Amino acid sequence: MEFKLEAHRIVSISLGKIYNSRVQRGGIKLHKNLLVSLVLRSARQVYLSDPCPGLYLAGPAGTPAPPPQQQPGEPAAGPPAGWGEPPPPAARASWPETEPQPERSSVSDAPRVGDEVPVATVTGVGDVFQGGEADATEAAWSRVEGPRQAAAREAEGTAGGWGVFPEVSRAARRPCGCPLGGEDPPGTPAATPRAACCCAPRPAEDEPPAPPAVCPRKRCAAGVGGGPAGCPAPGSTPLKKPRRNLEQPPSGGEDDDAEEMETGNVANLISIFGSSFSGLLRKSPGGGREEEEGEESGPEAAEPGQICCDKPVLRDMNPWSTAIVAF
Amino acid sequence: GDLRSGGGSVDVCRERLAGLVADIISTVEFNHTGELLATGDKGGRVVIFQREPESKNAPHSQGEYDVYSTFQSHEPEFDYLKSLEIEEKINKIKWLPQQNAAHSLLSTNDKTIKLWKITERDKRPEGYNLKDEEGKLKDLSTVTSLQVPVLKPMDLMVEVSPRRIFANGHTYHINSISVNSDCETYMSADDLRINLWHLAITDRSFNIVDIKPANMEDLTEVITASEFHPHHCNLFVYSSSKGSLRLCDMRAAALCDKHSKLFEEPEDPSNRSFFSEIISSVSDVKFSHSGRYMLTRDYLTVKVWDLNMEARPIETYQVHDYLRSKLCSLYENDCIFDKFECAWNGSDSVIMTGAYNNFFRMFDRNTKRDVTLEASRESSKPRAVLKPRRVCVGGKRRRDDISVDSLDFTKKILHTAWHPAENIIAIAATNNLYIFQDKVNSDMH
Repeated sequence: MEFKLEAHRIVSISLGKIYNSRVQRGGIKLHKNLLVSLVLRSARQVYLSDPCPGLYLAGPAGTPAPPPQQQPGEPAAGPPAGWGEPPPPAARASWPETEPQPERSSVSDAPRVGDEVPVATVTGVGDVFQGGEADATEAAWSRVEGPRQAAAREAEGTAGGWGVFPEVSRAARRPCGCPLGGEDPPGTPAATPRAACCCAPRPAEDEPPAPPAVCPRKRCAAGVGGGPAGCPAPGSTPLKKPRRNLEQPPSGGEDDDAEEMETGNVANLISIFGSSFSGLLRKSPGGGREEEEGEESGPEAAEPGQICCDKPVLRDMNPWSTAIVAF
Repeated sequence: GDLRSGGGSVDVCRERLAGLVADIISTVEFNHTGELLATGDKGGRVVIFQREPESKNAPHSQGEYDVYSTFQSHEPEFDYLKSLEIEEKINKIKWLPQQNAAHSLLSTNDKTIKLWKITERDKRPEGYNLKDEEGKLKDLSTVTSLQVPVLKPMDLMVEVSPRRIFANGHTYHINSISVNSDCETYMSADDLRINLWHLAITDRSFNIVDIKPANMEDLTEVITASEFHPHHCNLFVYSSSKGSLRLCDMRAAALCDKHSKLFEEPEDPSNRSFFSEIISSVSDVKFSHSGRYMLTRDYLTVKVWDLNMEARPIETYQVHDYLRSKLCSLYENDCIFDKFECAWNGSDSVIMTGAYNNFFRMFDRNTKRDVTLEASRESSKPRAVLKPRRVCVGGKRRRDDISVDSLDFTKKILHTAWHPAENIIAIAATNNLYIFQDKVNSDMH
């Protein structure tokens, strides 16, 4: 039981970190995100394998908590229940460097093995931004926000009021992006019932297209299950959005010189997390994505990203929403 | 235990607070003679300190380090195509061996490496025929005779100029650079690749290691640090986030994906936790001066490896094992991702690394003694002996002990450097640079 609680908490924290890494200055740090994804994976395994019958934390009143064996209660997929509209494209920018998946199997890297010829480095603007102009715009917009927020955070941090371990991090924010001290960040619609991870990430509120990712989710959590439901996985919903991008065929061929920093494996991990709501997914349309995680139950027919928009589906799955909103 | 209890053999006797850098120091490096000490900071600046020659007039001022030059190495950049901001923070500085009167160093941020040349000017020509002292053209009618300009002494001026800019070589974030013993080439490593450059050629580099999987979903480890062997120009080592070291031989193949040797210690199953992988990630690797050993730092330990033994390190030292039970909190506040560096002394007999609360640790490999010292203004006065500190983990607590729970985790010593020959160490504590000189005390307590 304790393992489950701790695993649950670690999952929340991890997702928060991954989400926050989007807006960190300097771009996504591959090393740190890889480590976080490993922790996430471990915690998830523990969470799922803990035989304790599913006691979902902060379950809404009146809703029976289903045992985990029956439903692979994926804790981390934030159920953006209550979304009427498709996820905003801006959030796709969370992994702007992610290449479309089919491209990964391109052979551009193969010739490198055993190459005698030095790899010519790009001297000019050689990198082609995959995904088209719209992505570039959205991504650029997201990136511009990021440095500003990060700069604000850093300004806070270097003011000298560092405080003492362990609660105060450099940015004086919890991993999920909320300021410390228990105050709600501006724009949080619902009360924050839990200490560990109280609300959706702050950056989301500053990005105009993204706030719907935050507010409706919380409202719906209250609507569906009643009452504050604890912490939705702060990073999960926005992170799933880039998956849509991944499903699209590339607009151009990948070029050695046109490489972008890939952090896609982390986004994929998040979507795998969310995608094991097999019941949900069977109702959602969409092409399948090859499942790589052995422990995923059932065929994953739908693109995980579409969980976000299927409000009616979620309404039908009250027990699911209980599990979902637990995070 | 600490050194004092066993009979002190080392007294750190003097502190010189050599500099207050405006921004957080991100790297510290002595040059090959130890005369110069370079620091890089988060704001992209490099500050070079120079050791004053010892003078008979002031015998106590045993070669202090004073500011020699300051320059802006890197600026923040914005890659508009990728919508990526590139931080100006200096990740690493490496000095080139000095080959003439000028000094050269490489400095790098996440994406771009720059070669800087540092020259001194202490003379200037005077007595031009066509120009006056201010450089204005003379009225030719006033010039009645010719003179040969002569060099006259002037106040020392240190000039720094960027000689090469090695850009666009890395898609991921550069974590280390290392100059080859051939003094002609150097390598730069990012998360997934290592490139070999010629110091004179900026428009191309050789890729010598590439661990990027064809499918990024298969990614399980990244490169965390790399270094050339100090003597064998064909050998280099790189460390990974999984805690392994790979020694590679550039003569074996153009692409050194296949290591010559793999150094890896099997994981202790009794220590397994959610965070086992994170704490086994190697944050720094350094060859010994002899070239026979390697030193690695992971989150809780420093390890000495013998190049001839791949199965396990020959020595393991606990830096702050009392943190093992606090890993979850340290994960939450991101401290578990801190990348501490490590250093050898000139004779490879003592190793040093930083910790929290502005503590740093030294381990004597021969006597097996270790000491914890603190870099802070309060505890150090000029010519005072640094007092060993102790972290108590319960049980009997001495008067000056610090309890684990009162450690300040915002005060971390990530970057340390040891003079190549003498017992002088440079400690970066946030934005303070401390330089300690060590006087070997023959008195036994």
